[in-house]
Amino acid sequence: MGNLDRLRPYLVTAKQREFEYDFIRGAEQYEVWAEVEIGSRYEAKQKFLVTEEDILAYNLGVLESDPLFTDPDYAQRHSPTGDLLQHPLFLVQIAFYCIEKGPCNWIRTPGARNPGQRIAWYEPFRVGEVITLRETALDKWIRRGKYYLTYQLDYYNQDDVLKATWWLTLILPPTREDVRRYAALDEEE
Amino acid sequence: MPRFSEVEVGQDLPVVSYEVPQEVIDRNAVASLDYNPVHLNIPWCRKAKVFGTELPVGHGMFTMSLMASVVTRWAYADGAQMREMDAKFFKAVPAGDRLTCTGVVKEVHPVGAGRNFVVVSLVAQNRQGEPVAIGTARVLLAD
Repeated sequence: MGNLDRLRPYLVTAKQREFEYDFIRGAEQYEVWAEVEIGSRYEAKQKFLVTEEDILAYNLGVLESDPLFTDPDYAQRHSPTGDLLQHPLFLVQIAFYCIEKGPCNWIRTPGARNPGQRIAWYEPFRVGEVITLRETALDKWIRRGKYYLTYQLDYYNQDDVLKATWWLTLILPPTREDVRRYAALDEEE
Repeated sequence: MPRFSEVEVGQDLPVVSYEVPQEVIDRNAVASLDYNPVHLNIPWCRKAKVFGTELPVGHGMFTMSLMASVVTRWAYADGAQMREMDAKFFKAVPAGDRLTCTGVVKEVHPVGAGRNFVVVSLVAQNRQGEPVAIGTARVLLAD
């Protein structure tokens, strides 16, 4: 997928180092808009163990500079919770990690566009929690020639407590042939 | 630091503004584990032109994260929590652009101690001052 060696200095967490970053290589296996069955439910096989390094890496990746978000020792002394504060969009990392190879992998589709998102948080994620992602194919529709797909992603901890919900919507290349066409651009001279 | 009792409708929140060079997009890709080629693969973007530009573009979720940062930088140190947020994106942010995010308190909801919340309207603009995203956040504030 092009030359992504420039990203190596940024890979600081165990999950970042293990993750399959080539979104084009697996494109043949991605679900496509035309084949998604609305109402289908899945549970991602890959769980997300929340660690402080995951939270810290995400905070830095969205340019947080306040020590309450970037310095665990300072946060321990000064944050309202005694923990490193967590940027609310941290759940994006959890979703991409849990989905890596399973259902809902259309979020990795080359050629996808992001029209808008909705998220609800019920309580912050805690270090040591093991998060399971449950996915529901909620809706798909066509508007002005664009193909929209929405899944509801529910984040549960190991005690089955619902932590957050992301109503994830993308505009997708509608058919497998369309996805192939985008993926093939990586090979053309 | 904002407490619910001190917040008024119409109050502006501190602005969050950053340059978005390819390096910032790269770092966000790693942090979010979203390696879509439209953000990273420069030769692919030149051919695909998914958003009409030949340049890689920033993640929509990065724009949304900076919009959320308007709230976190305003109120998280005082114990605030985001409860809900939505965002609509209508213009891509090519590498090399700038994002400036603003917020204003639109509603206050005095629904009871420990449950009081505000609704914040959020806008992200590019270097030309054009809106690229709008959103709304529901934020639980310390009493």
